[in-house]
Amino acid sequence: MPTVVLLDSSLSMTRPVSVEGSEEFQRKNLAVHGMTMLFEHMATNYRLEFTSLVAFSSLWELLVPFSRDYNTLQVVLVTDGALGIGRGSLRHSLQTVKQRVDDKKFPLPFPFPSKLYVMCIANAEELQATDSMDNLEQLINLNGGEGQIYTMEGPLCLKSVQSMFGKLIDQAYSPFHAVLRCGNLTSDVQVFPRPEPVTIDEEVDPIPKTVQTDLEIVGFIEIGDISSPPVLSRHLVLPIAVSKEGDEIGTGATDDTEEETSTNQMAGKSPNFCVLLHGSLKVEGMVALVQLGPDWFGMLYSQADSKKKSNLMMSLFDPGSEPLPWLGRMSQLGPASDAAENPYGEDDSKSPFPIQPKHKRSYAQNVTVWIKASGLQTDVQKILRNAKKLPEKTQTFYKELNRLRKAALAFGFWELLKSVAELLERECTLLPDSAHPDAAFQLSHAAQQLKLASSGDSKYAAFEQNITPMLTDFSGGGGADRI
Amino acid sequence: MRIFSVSHKTAFVVDHCPYMAESSRQLIECDMLTKSRSQGVIPLAPVSKSLWTCAIECSMEYCRILYDVYPTKKLVNYIVSDSEVHILNSWKQENQNTQELMTALAAVGPPNPRQDPECCSVLHGLVAAVESLCKITEYQHESRTTLMDTADRVANRGRIICLTNAKSDTHVRMLEDCVLETIQEQNKRAAGSDRLMPIQQCELVLVHIYPQGEETLVSDRQKKELSSVLSSEVHSVRAGRYLAGKLNVLVQQHFDLASTTITNIPMKEEQHANTSANYDVELLHHRDAHIEFIKTQPSFHCMNTSRDSGLKETVTLKWCTPRTNSVELHYCTGAYRISPVDVNSRPSSCLTNFLLNGRSVLLEQPRKSGSKVISHMLSSHGGEIFLHVLNSTRSTLEDPPSISEGCGGRVTDYRITDFGEFMRENRLTPFPESMVDAACRTPVERAKFQLERHTRYWPMIISQTTIFNMQAVVPLANLIVKDTLTDEDVLTCQKTVYNLVDMERKSDPLPISTAGSRGKGPKRDEQYRIMWNELETLVKAHVGTSERHQRVLDCISACRSKPPEEEERKKRGRKREDKEDKTEKNGKDTEEKGWTTDSERLKGVMEREKDEQSECEIIKDSPDSPEPLNKKPRLATEEQQPPEKSKGPVSLLTLWTNRITQANSRKHQEFAGRLSSVNSKAELYQHLKEENGMDVHENGKATR
Repeated sequence: MPTVVLLDSSLSMTRPVSVEGSEEFQRKNLAVHGMTMLFEHMATNYRLEFTSLVAFSSLWELLVPFSRDYNTLQVVLVTDGALGIGRGSLRHSLQTVKQRVDDKKFPLPFPFPSKLYVMCIANAEELQATDSMDNLEQLINLNGGEGQIYTMEGPLCLKSVQSMFGKLIDQAYSPFHAVLRCGNLTSDVQVFPRPEPVTIDEEVDPIPKTVQTDLEIVGFIEIGDISSPPVLSRHLVLPIAVSKEGDEIGTGATDDTEEETSTNQMAGKSPNFCVLLHGSLKVEGMVALVQLGPDWFGMLYSQADSKKKSNLMMSLFDPGSEPLPWLGRMSQLGPASDAAENPYGEDDSKSPFPIQPKHKRSYAQNVTVWIKASGLQTDVQKILRNAKKLPEKTQTFYKELNRLRKAALAFGFWELLKSVAELLERECTLLPDSAHPDAAFQLSHAAQQLKLASSGDSKYAAFEQNITPMLTDFSGGGGADRI
Repeated sequence: MRIFSVSHKTAFVVDHCPYMAESSRQLIECDMLTKSRSQGVIPLAPVSKSLWTCAIECSMEYCRILYDVYPTKKLVNYIVSDSEVHILNSWKQENQNTQELMTALAAVGPPNPRQDPECCSVLHGLVAAVESLCKITEYQHESRTTLMDTADRVANRGRIICLTNAKSDTHVRMLEDCVLETIQEQNKRAAGSDRLMPIQQCELVLVHIYPQGEETLVSDRQKKELSSVLSSEVHSVRAGRYLAGKLNVLVQQHFDLASTTITNIPMKEEQHANTSANYDVELLHHRDAHIEFIKTQPSFHCMNTSRDSGLKETVTLKWCTPRTNSVELHYCTGAYRISPVDVNSRPSSCLTNFLLNGRSVLLEQPRKSGSKVISHMLSSHGGEIFLHVLNSTRSTLEDPPSISEGCGGRVTDYRITDFGEFMRENRLTPFPESMVDAACRTPVERAKFQLERHTRYWPMIISQTTIFNMQAVVPLANLIVKDTLTDEDVLTCQKTVYNLVDMERKSDPLPISTAGSRGKGPKRDEQYRIMWNELETLVKAHVGTSERHQRVLDCISACRSKPPEEEERKKRGRKREDKEDKTEKNGKDTEEKGWTTDSERLKGVMEREKDEQSECEIIKDSPDSPEPLNKKPRLATEEQQPPEKSKGPVSLLTLWTNRITQANSRKHQEFAGRLSSVNSKAELYQHLKEENGMDVHENGKATR
């Protein structure tokens, strides 16, 4: 989530902080110290975070802009909690929040998902002495409760500002480190942006699910088989080198550049499983299925951008046993080599995916819908069209006839059966002299059967039963009428 | 999202009383062809559906859309009511399809106009619907079973849609009261049963159907809470297309659906095959497929709520004719099943057939200006069509670092092709639910287990391995990772080993990497030693799997050239002391560190050989007089054969020194120590142990 840092630069921020026996600090200096710490942390452990800095008092100035638009945001507001007075002050704005007109709406709640963190260069007692704390809390409430207020503990000094920003870092900017595993092949990785907890059904299972730090590959699937699945979120999987002290190196830059460079080079030269995996996924056009937790899966794949740069990416599926209908239950996916017959075929020409559902959807099974008159008319016409081409079209004629018969029986539309029977009888009388003699037999037979069905007599109106062509001398059946 | 919302259970109650046999008075002309035909033929009278037929086909359409969009977890119980109750299906998932309902409806048939109207009532059906809502579904049961202590989180809610012809508003109120009373009664009963659950929330949707051209006797009423459990709404609708429109709106409201119209679909004209016209097709799907529009245009959301007024809201997206059939992995944030509004129309079936044949279509937002925005994709998977939502906003992951910039990024000889092969071997496939192996592992657990086996020894780069660069090893390498070996497999492995022995005898070159070393790399015998070590490492990683795996290792141990210690000993005679120390240390290290340090040891060996070269003239592997190789597996005791016999090519220097050593050995008596040695190692000061017994240790420890 990109971050906007808002720095309060109003006059009250220059209030001195009394610290015994040391040089005098202003609240502004403490704020800058805390922000420096935050930015350093991001530069080291959260390098891909996009950040922007805005200073404000009664006006505001964008100091460092974003280069892009985003649909989610984290906002870090750094202030001393002195709310000002009069028009334009937070106190006044919150009091009049309901009186605003549409085009001058209060900025909160933001029109995008966001978290608002308020960093107070003041301690809680100080803020509670006035109504500052209440007003700030109201801000968070306006943002749908998304966010948190941090205050300083103890005297206002560098140490306590550090500890306050430390808490923010832990809360919002702690890197997600994990071990990527494929059997015995492993790699330490950072997953960026860090995966957030997910709740699927707040009623049945209200506890949010979190991605475990052991990412275990369970097997591989072709890109064509996984077929652009819907995902909750996407994350870069960056291999990291873990040095003996347990400090992470490799993805971050620290101050002592020279040493860093050499360790980085070392890390670059020792083989890493992520690079191998990425290379093969890219070449083969496959994805790796990875287990993120109990009943939760994702996929690893090679993601290329327009500039020919590519990277290992992880997408998270919805938690649950069957996130993708065309793969079936995830727990039922097993090694293809266990199957009695190679499901991919000996020459890779087959695939066990996608899984076919038990029942076809309506658009795949030629259902009958007569809600619009045209639907019914089309079906009747189809029968008549084929009736004119008897006996060549005998099979199609009866197929269409039976489709209509079934629907009419289900809908209790017996009147239609009678009507179509009459139509067929009339067709019979209108047959030209040149017509095949079989045509007349089939038409009158079909008409008779429809009439019988329209009586509702269970002997003739059974849904599963079909009208079969009459066997005549002409249809090569030997002359026996078997119906 | 909640699985057990009101939409989990829908009970349809359709009135089957004699008055439903009444005509809807909507006339349909069946006899269309006569117009162009010979005069004198009297066209047949138009047909008209009964109220019953209208109710059935509209409710079936409701179910069709529902099952298309939610094939599971949204259940319908279909009840028909006359003088008695006909329950056409159950909550079971297997009963949830329109074919089964159609079959059951055909058996019920249209209402009998001659039935005694006094005995008939839709009330029977409403009572049955309430009873049915109390019945637990398989999903509720499963959830309750898995949740154990927190089973009370599983809610029981439901909806009753009643299609009837009511007499008056008072009649409607009577029906509502009856439902309310039945709920209270049934909830008491359900409290004491395992298979029943009290209803926590019930929505009653009463649809009064009356023939066209008549005035309605029942007034519409918005949703109203009748009690904390029951809410009710009344819709008074004319039969025919009005009823169809109403149920279409209801299914959208009840199941959070939204409509998208695909526009600009090019289609060949039926009459003129060489011309093409553009068509529109309207689809229904979960409304989350429009989430981006709702977010970015707040007004959009408002428009959607006014649907009840009969106003139809739909989002229009433009068809983009697919150019290629290439498989691409799109970043997709959602995929929702669709149902065409007009399933049988020609444009609809053209679109769905195109998709069912495996093509995907990208959809573009119509914009008057600016760049093209592709926001959706239509694609079918296993005969089901999904509307995929593609990410069209800019991502925070744009311009990420390349993998080549990170850890391991500079290494250039990864075994990419081999790992690709590995991935193909470890592809997944679905197994039927019942398939559990002897150890009760699920297929996915077996897949992980297989990956573990296949990666016990898997060097990541080409220069780290010899055996995986050799075609000759492939049969063994493929078999040894298997969970079970057949006798035939073992034989194949043994053949592979013999083949390697043969190669060694013929002194075939090995694909040993010379990366990082100067000169020509290790000598051939050294190469084979490295190869054998690596092969042993591979097979050793699997000996625990079965006795047959062990047999493969036994075969290698028996057939391979001598282990390094013997060679070291052989060289000892002609080497300076300090150098000996160095090599010995090297050798030891190798044994401890295993395969990862093979390349390091290789370098040590190569340096040593360079020293040798400076010391004396080296004659390279000469193929002139190799010992014929004994093909039958040798026993461990045979290791004490003269070293040159167990090896393939031998240098002239070695031949000479061995000969001298042999000649010299005949001139003196062998040391007692060497004679009694085990593996050429003799324990020193054995007599001390014998004389003092355990005292040695105690003295050594100096406890007193």
